[in-house]
Amino acid sequence: MAEINQFRLPDVGEGLTEAEIVAWRVAVGDTVLTNDTLVEVETAKAVVELPSPFPGTVLALLAEAGQTVQVGTPIVAIGDPAAVPAAPAAAAPEAAVPEAAVPEAAVPEERPEVLVGYGPTRTTVARRPRRSPAVPVPGRPGVPASRRPLAPPPVRKLARNLGVDLTTVEPTGTRGHVTRQDVQQASENRRPGRPAGPGAPPAEIRTPIQGIRKRTAAAVVASAFTAPHVTEWLTVDVKRSLRLLETLRDDPSYRDVRLTPLLLIARAVLHALAAHPEANASWRADTNEIVQFRDVNLGIAAATPRGLVVPNIPAANRLTARALAAALAELTATARAGKTTTERLRHGTFTITNFGVFGVDGATPILNPGEAAILGVGRIAERPWAHKGKVRLRPVLTLALSFDHRLVDGELGSELLAHIGRLLERPELSIVT
Amino acid sequence: MTTPGSTAPPLTTLTLGAALNAGLRQAMADDDTVMLVGEDIGRLGGVFRVTAGLQDAFGADRVVDSLLAESGIVGTAIGLALRGYRPVCEIQFDGFVYPAFDQIVSQLAKMRARSNGRLSLPVTIRIPVGGGIGAVEHHSESNEAYFCHTAGLRVVACASPADAHWMIQQAVACDDPVIFYEPKQRYWDKADVAVGPVPGSAPGLGAARLARQGDDATLIAYGPTVRTALDAATVAAGEGRSYEVIDLRSLSPIDLPLLERSVRKTGRAVVIHEAPSFVGLGAEIAAALTERCFTALEAPVQRVCGYNVPYPPARAERLYLPDIDRVLDAVDATFSY
Amino acid sequence: MTGQLLHPQAAAGSAREEGETSEALPGLLAADGTLRSSPGLSLDVTPRLACGLYRDMVLGRRLDQEAYHLQRQGELGLWLSCRGQEAAQVGSIRGLNDGDYVFPSYREQAAALCRGIDPAGLLAQWRGCSHSGWDPTAHNFHIYSLVLATQLLHATGYALGVARDRKRDPLIDDIVLVYFGDGAASQGDANEAFNWAAASNAPVIFFCQNNQWAISTPSSAQSSTRLHQRAEGFGLRSALVDGNDVLGVHAATRAAAASVRAGGRPAFIEAVTYRMAGHSTSDNPDIYREADEVARWQARDPIVRLRALLDARGWAEPGFYQALESEADALAAQTREACLALPPPRLEDTFRNTFAAEPASLREEREGYTTYQESFDDHAR
Repeated sequence: MAEINQFRLPDVGEGLTEAEIVAWRVAVGDTVLTNDTLVEVETAKAVVELPSPFPGTVLALLAEAGQTVQVGTPIVAIGDPAAVPAAPAAAAPEAAVPEAAVPEAAVPEERPEVLVGYGPTRTTVARRPRRSPAVPVPGRPGVPASRRPLAPPPVRKLARNLGVDLTTVEPTGTRGHVTRQDVQQASENRRPGRPAGPGAPPAEIRTPIQGIRKRTAAAVVASAFTAPHVTEWLTVDVKRSLRLLETLRDDPSYRDVRLTPLLLIARAVLHALAAHPEANASWRADTNEIVQFRDVNLGIAAATPRGLVVPNIPAANRLTARALAAALAELTATARAGKTTTERLRHGTFTITNFGVFGVDGATPILNPGEAAILGVGRIAERPWAHKGKVRLRPVLTLALSFDHRLVDGELGSELLAHIGRLLERPELSIVT
Repeated sequence: MTTPGSTAPPLTTLTLGAALNAGLRQAMADDDTVMLVGEDIGRLGGVFRVTAGLQDAFGADRVVDSLLAESGIVGTAIGLALRGYRPVCEIQFDGFVYPAFDQIVSQLAKMRARSNGRLSLPVTIRIPVGGGIGAVEHHSESNEAYFCHTAGLRVVACASPADAHWMIQQAVACDDPVIFYEPKQRYWDKADVAVGPVPGSAPGLGAARLARQGDDATLIAYGPTVRTALDAATVAAGEGRSYEVIDLRSLSPIDLPLLERSVRKTGRAVVIHEAPSFVGLGAEIAAALTERCFTALEAPVQRVCGYNVPYPPARAERLYLPDIDRVLDAVDATFSY
Repeated sequence: MTGQLLHPQAAAGSAREEGETSEALPGLLAADGTLRSSPGLSLDVTPRLACGLYRDMVLGRRLDQEAYHLQRQGELGLWLSCRGQEAAQVGSIRGLNDGDYVFPSYREQAAALCRGIDPAGLLAQWRGCSHSGWDPTAHNFHIYSLVLATQLLHATGYALGVARDRKRDPLIDDIVLVYFGDGAASQGDANEAFNWAAASNAPVIFFCQNNQWAISTPSSAQSSTRLHQRAEGFGLRSALVDGNDVLGVHAATRAAAASVRAGGRPAFIEAVTYRMAGHSTSDNPDIYREADEVARWQARDPIVRLRALLDARGWAEPGFYQALESEADALAAQTREACLALPPPRLEDTFRNTFAAEPASLREEREGYTTYQESFDDHAR
C-alpha cells in the first residue's frame, strides 16, 4: 500500500487563522504512531503540540521552525516510504522535499479571527454552478382566482391616470395580472371619441397616431415601398379538400384535432415550399445577401382586438398534420386573447393571410416585412365550374400569392402558386409528389 | 372530542377568564399528566382568578403555587415535561416573563431540535398580555414578537371567550411548547361559550378566524385589538363601508392562506396590535402579504400599533393604544392611493 | 508571556487550598493510595469495587485523551477535557442506580461512558455534526447543556415529577443527580434551583465538581462562602469530599442517594477536584495559573492513587492491567474511527426536528429550501 498522508495545519482554537512552527519533534525518516507528538506550534492563544493523525514514516517536513503557516496548509507528509521516489539526501530535516511526491500546498481561504466556532469561511466570489434555473414562483396552488383585476400598484396608478378601467383590460402578465403594456395598449385602443351628450355629432374626430397602429403602418409602408410586389391569382376547385376534411372528421385519431381548410392550405404551402425552397427566403439589404431558410416559420395573419398581428409557427414543416392543426388552433386562440408573445412574432419566413373570413374573394396582400412571399386566401364559395366536362356548382377558392420580385421571379412564383393550387384541388397528389 | 350524534353542549355566558378556567378544568380532567404551576394560582386562584377553584378540584399536587422565580417556573416545568408531565405555567404578568426568557428561548424552544427529535416538551406558558387596565409599569407589555421570532415555539393569542375555551385546551394538548397570550383587558368580556371538550369541527390552533365579513378592507388583529377592530368596523358600516375583520389567533405560525384570501378579495389590509410597530408582527404580515398579494393590493399594508416608546403611565395609555379613530384613519388612507 | 495572575484572590485561593490537602478534605483514599477514614463516609471497599472503578476511570481518561488528539488534528472544533476529574464523575455515577436520571453539564465524559453512551455520540456535537449525540431516555443521561446552570432547574423539575410518580406508585424509588461546576453555582438558575429543590423537597442530588477554575476565574473569587456551606444555607443536605478520591466520592454519593431515596432533603455534594487541562482546547491556562499549582494537583491524581492501592493490596488479577490497556487502546481506535465517520448534518433534519407537528408555513419553507439546493450542480442526490 503506497499511501502518503498530508497533515494540514488545523484551526485548534475556534477561528484561528495561522500558527508559527516552534519546533519539530520528529525528523524525516522517523516512524510515528497515531497521536505521537509531531510539532509544537504557537497560535494567537497558546503554544500547542500537534499529534499525528496517522501512523507511518515521516516523509517530509513541509514547514520550517520559525515559519508562520496558514491554517489548512500541509505541514508534514507521513506515509509509506516505498511510495516515494528517491528523495534528495537531506542535510537538514526541515528542508527535505521528496520529488513529485507531495502536491503543491493548497492556498487556504482567508478567514477572519473569531471567538467561537470554525469561523466564517470566505467563499469564492462566483456563482455556484446551477443544475436548473432558480425556480420562479408560479401561481400558488389553492388560491382562488381573484374576482378583482390584478395589477401591481404602479400599474393601477397608471390605469387611473390614463382613465383605463382595469376590469376591461385583458391581462397578459405571467401571474395573470394586467401589465403596464396592457394598460398602455388599452388606452391606445380605445375607440376614438364617441360623441358625448346630446346634440349634433362633431364635424371631425381626431385620434393621435400612436402605439400599435403607428407601428403597423410603418411596417406596411416599409414593406410595400421597398419590395417590388407582384401578385398572382389562381382559383381552384377545393371539393376534394373539403371531402378529405370530412373523412378526417370521422377518423378517431383526428377526433381532438381542429380540422379546417386552413390546415390543408398550410400543408399545401409547406409541401410547395419544400419543392421550391428559394421562396422561403429573405432579401437582406443590410448584409447584401439573400438568406434562404431551411425551416418554414409559418406566419398566420390574425386580426385581434389589439390590431393586426402575424404570429408564426416555428418549423411548421417538421410538424405532423395533427401537430400543425394543434399549433394553428393554439396560435389563433392566443392571438385572439391578445397573449401572443413577442418572440412568436419574430423570425417568420412565410405568411398566410385569410381574408376569406371577411367574405371577399381575393386581395393583393402586402408582404410581411422581411419575407419573400405571402399567400392570401379568399372565401370558399359555390360557383359554376367546369367539372368533368359539365358545368357544375363547385366550391372554389381564390388564392393570391404576392411575392418580392427582387428574389422571386415570375416563374418561381407561378410554380409555387400552381403547386399549392394543385394540392388543394387534388390532395391525393401529395403522396406522389 | 364530542361523540358523534351527541347533542351540542348548551351555551353558557362566561367571561373570557372564566372560559379559560373552564378550559383548564376540562384539560386537567381529560389528562392527569396536566398540571398547573404559577405564582398565586392555587389558593388565590390567580391574580385574575383564571385558575380559581382548580386547586380545590384537582389538589395542590396538580395546581401548584410556585416559588417567586420565573426562570424556576419554566426551568422546572421543562424538567417535569422531560419526566412525562404536561405542565401549564402561568407567568403572572407579561412584564415578568423576562427572567424566564433564557429558559424559554434557549431551552424550551430548542430542546426538540437539539435532541434530534428525541425530546418533547409539551409545555404551555400562559401570559396575560397588553394594556388598557390602568396598571403600573411592566404590567402592560406586549412582547409576542420576541417569541414569534424564536424558532421552535408556537405563539397564540385568544381574543374571545369561546375561542379562549377551546384554544387553551388545544394548547395544552399540543406536543410543542406554546406561549399562550391572554388579553388582560378582555378578561371580563362576556360571551356564550360551549363548555366542554374541543369538538372535531373546531378550527385548529394554527387557524385564523374570520370575525366579521366585509368587502372593502381587511382588518387583521389579535388578542386585545380584535375588539378594537370589530368596533371600528361597526362604525364604518354606519358610514357605508364594509370591513372584514380577521382574528389572527395564531401568531406563530400565521395563517397566511386565510389572510391572503381576504386581501385578494378586498385589496386593502390594516394590521392592528398594541405592540410597537417597529419589528412587530405587523411588519411580518405586511411583508408576507406584499409578497403574496402584490398584484391584488390597492394600497400598501397599513399598521396601527403602539408607538415606539416604553409603555406610558396609566393615564396616558389611551393615547398610546390603537383605537377606533386610528384604525379608521388607516383604512381611509388606503383609499387615497 | 508568563503566567500572569489576574485575580488577587487566586493567591489566597492557593493558600486556602494548601490548607485543604487530601488529609483535610473528607475522603477514604489518600493521595498516596492508602485507605483512611472520615466521619460520615463509610464504604465496603472490595477488590471488585476498586478494580471496577479503576477501569472506569482509565477508560474515561483514554476517551478524553483521544478526543483531545482528534481536536488537535482538526477533527473536532472544540474539546472540553475532564482530565483530572475522573474520580469525581466515576465515583458519583457508580453510586447511583441505573434508573436514576442524570443531568450533566458539558464535561462529563467519564460519567457518560459509565452509562454506556457511545464515544462517537460524545464527540458529535464538538465535531459540529449535531447538537447532541445520544438518546437521553436510553441511558437516563440528559443531553449536554451549554447554558451554565440551566440544567439545575431542569433536574429539579424532573425530580418533582419523580416525587409525583412516587405518590402514585410507592415502588418507584429513583432519584435525580445533576452535575455542574463551581462557576455555574453563581448563576441565578443554580440558586433558584437550590432554593426550589429545598423548599419543595425534590429528590435531587446537586453534585458540584469544584475543579477550581471557571475558565480563568478561580473558585475562590466565584463565591464568598464555600459552596457546600452555601448549600446548607438553602436547606440542602450538604457534604464536602475530596473529588480526586473515587472511593470517598462513591461513598458520599451512595450516602446522599440513600438519604434522598428514603425521602430526605435534597442533597448537595461539593467534590473538590482540579481541571488539569484548560477550560477547552481554545484556552491557554498557562496565562492565568501557575505551573506549580498544576504540579501539586498532579500529585493528587485520582487514577495514580487508586493504582497505588490496588498494587499495595495486590487486588488486580494477573493480566488485569494489560487487558485494560488493550481495552483502552480499542476504545481509542473505535472512538477515532467513529468520529471520522460521523455523518454531516442535513438542514432538512433541523427543519423536521423543530416541531412535533410541522406547520404548513414551515413545510413550505423546508420544501423551498430543498428545491433551492437541488437546483445546484454540486448537490449530492
